[in-house]
Amino acid sequence: MKRYVATAALAGIMGVTSIAVAGGAGAQDDTVTMTIGLLQDMSSPNVTVGYLVPEFEVWNLQYASLTDKAADDFAPLPGLAESWEESDGGLTYTYTLREGLKWSDGEPLTADDIAYTINRSRDEEWANHFSTVENIEATVLDDRTVQLTSSEPDPKLPTMDVYIVPQHVYEGIDAEAIADYDGMDGVASGQYSLVEWNSGQDWTLERNPNWFGRDNGIDRIVYRVFSNADALVAALQKGEIDAAHGFGAEGAQLLEQEDGIEVVVGLQGGFTELALNGMEGGIGDGHPALQDIDVRHAIYHAIDRQAIFDGVSLGYGSIGTTLSPSADTSWIPDLGDEGFEYDPAKATQLLDEAGYLDTDGDGVREMPDGGQPLRFRYVERSESENADSIRAFVTEYLDAVGIATDVEVMDDTQLYEAQVAGEYDIFVWGWTPYVDPDPMLSYFTCGQVTTDVEAAGYNDANWCSEEYDALYDQQKVELDPTARRAIVADMLRLFNRESTYLVLLQDADLQAYRTDRFEGWLRQPAETGPVIFSNSSPTYANLTVIDGGGDDGGMSTGLLIALIAGGVVVVGAAGFVVMNRSKRTADERE
Amino acid sequence: MSDHALPAGAAAPTFSPKAFARQRRRAAFAEFARAFRRDRLAMLGLVILLAFVLLALAAPLISPRSGLSVVASQDNPRWASPSGDFPLGTDHLRRSGAAQFVWGSRVSIAVGLMATVLTIAIGSLVGIVAGFFGRWTDAVLMRLTDWFLVIPFLPLAIVLAAVLDRSLRNIVLVIAITSWPATARLVRSQVLTVRQRLFVDRSRALGASRAHVIRRHILPNVAPLILANVTLAVPISILTETTLSFLGLGDPNLTSWGKVLEQAQSEGAVLRNAWWYYLPSGIGIVLVVLAFTLVGRAMEEILDPRLRERGR
Repeated sequence: MKRYVATAALAGIMGVTSIAVAGGAGAQDDTVTMTIGLLQDMSSPNVTVGYLVPEFEVWNLQYASLTDKAADDFAPLPGLAESWEESDGGLTYTYTLREGLKWSDGEPLTADDIAYTINRSRDEEWANHFSTVENIEATVLDDRTVQLTSSEPDPKLPTMDVYIVPQHVYEGIDAEAIADYDGMDGVASGQYSLVEWNSGQDWTLERNPNWFGRDNGIDRIVYRVFSNADALVAALQKGEIDAAHGFGAEGAQLLEQEDGIEVVVGLQGGFTELALNGMEGGIGDGHPALQDIDVRHAIYHAIDRQAIFDGVSLGYGSIGTTLSPSADTSWIPDLGDEGFEYDPAKATQLLDEAGYLDTDGDGVREMPDGGQPLRFRYVERSESENADSIRAFVTEYLDAVGIATDVEVMDDTQLYEAQVAGEYDIFVWGWTPYVDPDPMLSYFTCGQVTTDVEAAGYNDANWCSEEYDALYDQQKVELDPTARRAIVADMLRLFNRESTYLVLLQDADLQAYRTDRFEGWLRQPAETGPVIFSNSSPTYANLTVIDGGGDDGGMSTGLLIALIAGGVVVVGAAGFVVMNRSKRTADERE
Repeated sequence: MSDHALPAGAAAPTFSPKAFARQRRRAAFAEFARAFRRDRLAMLGLVILLAFVLLALAAPLISPRSGLSVVASQDNPRWASPSGDFPLGTDHLRRSGAAQFVWGSRVSIAVGLMATVLTIAIGSLVGIVAGFFGRWTDAVLMRLTDWFLVIPFLPLAIVLAAVLDRSLRNIVLVIAITSWPATARLVRSQVLTVRQRLFVDRSRALGASRAHVIRRHILPNVAPLILANVTLAVPISILTETTLSFLGLGDPNLTSWGKVLEQAQSEGAVLRNAWWYYLPSGIGIVLVVLAFTLVGRAMEEILDPRLRERGR
């Protein structure tokens, strides 16, 4: 599952506005390079520990799966396996691999690699694979045949959504060392392999000549990390990059007015949530008031999601309701009157009745025993493009019902560590779910609450319940689609009532590409989905190079005016000071 | 008039020493004011400065605080250009640009002043102690000062601001920690010259304690220099606050001019040509910094004996 980011700017820490210099557009040799700009760096290209959107795109390109997914509707397609057969009432599937599969380094890719990856990721509980392979045993029948046996009925099969890693590389890395592995081996079964990563700047993938699929004519793909949305938008306008991802609603509005640039509003279930620390099992140091469900409900009633959507999303995406477990948003149930409508009077009433009163008249309520004030730490992500706007709304709404906030700004790694340790009160972050709802739902089971950074689970709200876990186990083995949907709907209603995640926004992935160099951009799912950073990234295999496409450059007038205006002010001020000095010197020499 | 030259009006010898000192200071101030008034640029700086201080103090009267509220601004237009309702337009969250300019002046100037007071306090203390006690005290303190002097200022400030929580107090702290060494050096050199004067020796010979000498002789003689240094340190503090806010390291809850510039850059004001949003804050910073510099230079030239002697 990917932690998503609509985002920006390492808070511009070094103040450098990245301006891409060597864009693909002007390359002189025969190498065809496509450059994609974004605002988020990878956390790690190691499949066992990475968790951000950018590395999922790299894995989608570097590792072919047993079964691929259709761009239109995620239906299973042949991947490494060219065919499969069901037997034993859906408990066993036998996959036949394509003929002559090879890794990018020339080693043969066989059923051993498949079985090795599935069995090892189950045994070692690799976070990105585990919920998919939990009940599965993989057996090698011969070089081209692998059999998967599930101990329970599994509605996800025959789709096998795990990244198959090269056994000949990974068997040299044992369980203790794997979390520290840098993942830079570049041995690919997919379309491209990762050859270089300059953290905070860019990473490069090169075409895998041994890939079984179609050659799209693009030799390299470079992903360039920009420090702010404006620089990203300007780079796309100038043709320094061919596509851009995550520039935010403001950037989308600007780019929609450009000729030669296509803006994509991609919906794939991504959302932004306001999470409250549930402190399951007493871990961490969350505020005790957040353990009280009345306080959590009051917080939800205090916040006007419509206003945040209007003010921040500018009409892209939709208002959040509750956890969206799948890229297919029809999994979200109708919450009826349990949707926590904006009602500050109700929030006030809930807090008053539960005894959280402002006893010392400072505008902030205190705990019922009159001690600790309701002052929550609020973590704002430095790498998010809209986090400060959302924070402006949320803190004002909380303030209006007598809840104070102390804003802390953290980068993704710091926040992740704070989550694992349970040392936070409130944070705002987002998720982009898989297609099958199982992984997203699994994150809120009790097994995912842990304080060990090395073996961390994904339960970042530190909330869980036995009832939820029981329903989770039920849906996991329910083969009837209608019955499974009903169970999932019950889980989501329960999750919503427990109110550990207030889903603020249903996000759109805002992307744009230039129409002059490449064509064949595919949305996944059809019509509504994103073209890049989508669930299985089918765009890349479908692209073709447009002959004679090129650069039409030029600096935006806005930027030019700003630079000139800034220059005039600085020169004027400097001139004034210099004039002042020389004049004074002249006076004094008299 | 910082020296112990007898002031012109001090002819009558019948006053108590206190009254004498008071009179002498009054005369010195009058002399200072005369010199300052003759400097047209310094007067211009003073006028600009007073205008901005007035703006900052009167912020609640000029523009209601609700102008900064995103919730209260919901029904405004986005990125509106300047008009009667919004003299400086509106921003990406529909807030009034004028409200942000006015309230931003408060934070920028307040941080500048607070940080300066702290900077000068640390710098003066270190400078006086090092200069007066000399020997190993001086050696240790000056090596410490040198150490802080050679660390590149901006990276240190950025690292400190990134490590500490983002609050007003910490920004003040960061500025003070990174800018006190210059003041310490300046004050120490002045203390060294004052310490050599005869009246200090006389006072010591008459049995005055060290504390007495520092309080009654050293401090009054370095005070004018410190004062001039204050006015020169304020613009540096304001610029530092602006820089840190612009880099996203400021207090997220406060609107300062630097924060406005940061938002202009991150929210597309530049690409949208929304000059009305960022230009006023930029100009505000330039004017206030310039005003402090003009006043500070003039004061320094009048009060610093070395600069004055060279001039005459």
